[in-house]
Amino acid sequence: MDFSYSQEQRMLTDSLRRLMADRWTYPERRARQKAGVLDQSAWANLAELGVSGLLVPEEFGGFGESPATMLAVHHELGRGLVSEPVISSAVIAVTLLANSSNHALKERWLTAHAEGDAVLAVAWQEEGERFAIRPLCTRANATSDGFTLEGRKVLVWHAAGSDALIVTALLDGEMALFLVPADAKGLGIADYPTFDGSRSSTVTFEHVVLTPESLIARGEEAQSLLTLALDFGITALCAHACGAMEYLTEATIQYLKTRKQFGQPLAAFQVLQFRLADMLTQQEMGISSTYVATVGLAEQDAARRSRLVSLTKVEVAAAARFVGESSVQLHGGMGMTDELEVGDYFKRLTFTDMLLGDTNFHLQRAQDLGN
Amino acid sequence: MDLTWSAEERAFREEVRTFVQAKLPADLRAKSFAHNRVKREDYIRWHRILADHGWGAPSWPKEFGGTGWNPLQRLIFEIESFKAGAPRLLPFGLSMIGPVLMKFGNQKQKDHYLPRIINMDDWWCQGYSEPGSGSDLASLKTRAERVGDKYIINGQKTWTTLAHYADWMFCLVRTDPGAKAQRGISMVLIDMKQPGVTVRPIKTLDGGAEVNEVWLENVEAPLENLVGEENNGWTYAKYLLGHERSGIAGIGHCHRELAILKSLAERTTASGESLSLDARVKDSINRIEAQVMALEMMVLRVAADSSDPGPKASILKIRGSELQMELARLQLQVTGADSWPYDPDWMHAEADFHGPGADYSPAAAAAYFDMRKTAIYGGTNEVQKGIIAKQLIGV
Repeated sequence: MDFSYSQEQRMLTDSLRRLMADRWTYPERRARQKAGVLDQSAWANLAELGVSGLLVPEEFGGFGESPATMLAVHHELGRGLVSEPVISSAVIAVTLLANSSNHALKERWLTAHAEGDAVLAVAWQEEGERFAIRPLCTRANATSDGFTLEGRKVLVWHAAGSDALIVTALLDGEMALFLVPADAKGLGIADYPTFDGSRSSTVTFEHVVLTPESLIARGEEAQSLLTLALDFGITALCAHACGAMEYLTEATIQYLKTRKQFGQPLAAFQVLQFRLADMLTQQEMGISSTYVATVGLAEQDAARRSRLVSLTKVEVAAAARFVGESSVQLHGGMGMTDELEVGDYFKRLTFTDMLLGDTNFHLQRAQDLGN
Repeated sequence: MDLTWSAEERAFREEVRTFVQAKLPADLRAKSFAHNRVKREDYIRWHRILADHGWGAPSWPKEFGGTGWNPLQRLIFEIESFKAGAPRLLPFGLSMIGPVLMKFGNQKQKDHYLPRIINMDDWWCQGYSEPGSGSDLASLKTRAERVGDKYIINGQKTWTTLAHYADWMFCLVRTDPGAKAQRGISMVLIDMKQPGVTVRPIKTLDGGAEVNEVWLENVEAPLENLVGEENNGWTYAKYLLGHERSGIAGIGHCHRELAILKSLAERTTASGESLSLDARVKDSINRIEAQVMALEMMVLRVAADSSDPGPKASILKIRGSELQMELARLQLQVTGADSWPYDPDWMHAEADFHGPGADYSPAAAAAYFDMRKTAIYGGTNEVQKGIIAKQLIGV
């Protein structure tokens, strides 16, 4: 084992850190959040550094990078509190497509994605369900010249601003995955802001007509693909949270060193020093847990892979909560305001537990998957 | 020891319950349970309904127009009101400046201000914290200079809750800049509706703006607006903070939020099954219920103790805030990803909600963020632990 970054990884993360310092500043982030639409130039900046092509196989113009590099990259993106679709599109959708056997779709979409010319969203959640991946009421029907799609998906991360959606649906009673262009007739997107400064949508399908090539996979293959893609997404989300924790801990230490009460810096009070020490400990354990999942992603045994990912998610979510809540507490009243970036990081860390399966879901999944 | 409620206490609980049931407007009740924003008129409306019934000042002695209830009755009233979904009674007049005026104010001040608090004719705010003086309140810098028959006041206050509605501020000012920290501070009543007072809302994590920064620029207060003696304000401030803390356990709030948590778990489903049947969810609800019941006993024990609640109030403050935060977190957990989409505008009862999930879903995240304040205001929990160590343990 070697935990030091390779020269390429170092160069990549250094460039990303410079980009974050340059374009993901607090005012820039806030401005983009307010605009409420995907900032194409920001997405292009990320693509230039290889974020959109990171997991795209080389044959489609990407870098075909390892999970370890993914961890390093998303850790930096988390530090910069990136709200663009770096996980939903560049990790989940790309992993799903890259591992599928639909060559035409891969050629069309992965190549464009690597170039930064396409954004994809994955629509898999439905009302009345929390995180189970099997669709309940979105249905596809086979027709003489393809398929039609009916149904409704909720909490679709970055659906607005995407060029196509990967959608789960029931086809002859089994799960199937389709690629649906965002401009398809009958597709409706209701877009909402989210508390952490990103976007999510409710997506409706009313008699959407699809070509036969739109089918990515069905049955067990579809289920395995989505599970694999979400496992990559969860690991990237954990890396993102660890980066955010690292930045937030640094910012909190800085604040306590400068803010004075009772004639001395707050950092001089032992009760606050211990809280900082606990934050640092949680942050270190969080990143260590994320390494566990990253190792797990290479597992051939899918059940074992998913179990390691679930256990990591539980631990990182707990660490994220502790660090987020502590940073607000240590900032005192200032931590409660919407005027510092500590709040933005706290909210992003809060969503770590809510997205892609919460703690109870992952504890149950780990239990179901056995040892 | 007798751990049963007396017949009188039971009858009193019933009386409160019946009254609140009958008189609490349905829209206010709905707002509480949906965590919608409570507006200025809402607070006033409920307060005046109580005042009309002679209950405008539940914590005051009869001689000042209060109900004369004992501490246990006051607690019963608080718990039953909150459980039914009533808005909280604002503490600034009733629990803060009111008791200070009763003890340290002159007759004229008592005669003028106290009845107006009972009927909520004046809206009060608390001018304590300053940008550089939070936990270290005694370092405050706002200056009051005596010029003829009035004070001229200059400075800046912050975290001033609901100051944008306030008619009056009870304000800590420095009247003797040469004196050491706690000495040289006075308490002055300031008319908020005068030139030189600027109120700027501070947007908080949930997108709301209940707290404010307040600038005082050459603001005037006649000398008769001084409370007690000049340069003795710290004594009154400490007395007031003692009052603030005895109600700070938020036991009524905890009871209501527990009920909301249970109802959320009932209503939320996964794969067709109610979350209230999920073993992990059940465990967490049972555990928090046990903690709320223990907190209530703790509050009752402190209330029943006729001696000054003193440092024991710090235990109530810490534990009460922890439970309020945990209840909000559990509600968020039960609501799940439905509370991820969020627009602060959705928090208004009259909002045209068009997000996913149920109309109460966005409030879960907002409440979780907002409740973090309970471990910070009224003296941070770290400060409270210091008080416990020093005064209860003696180290």
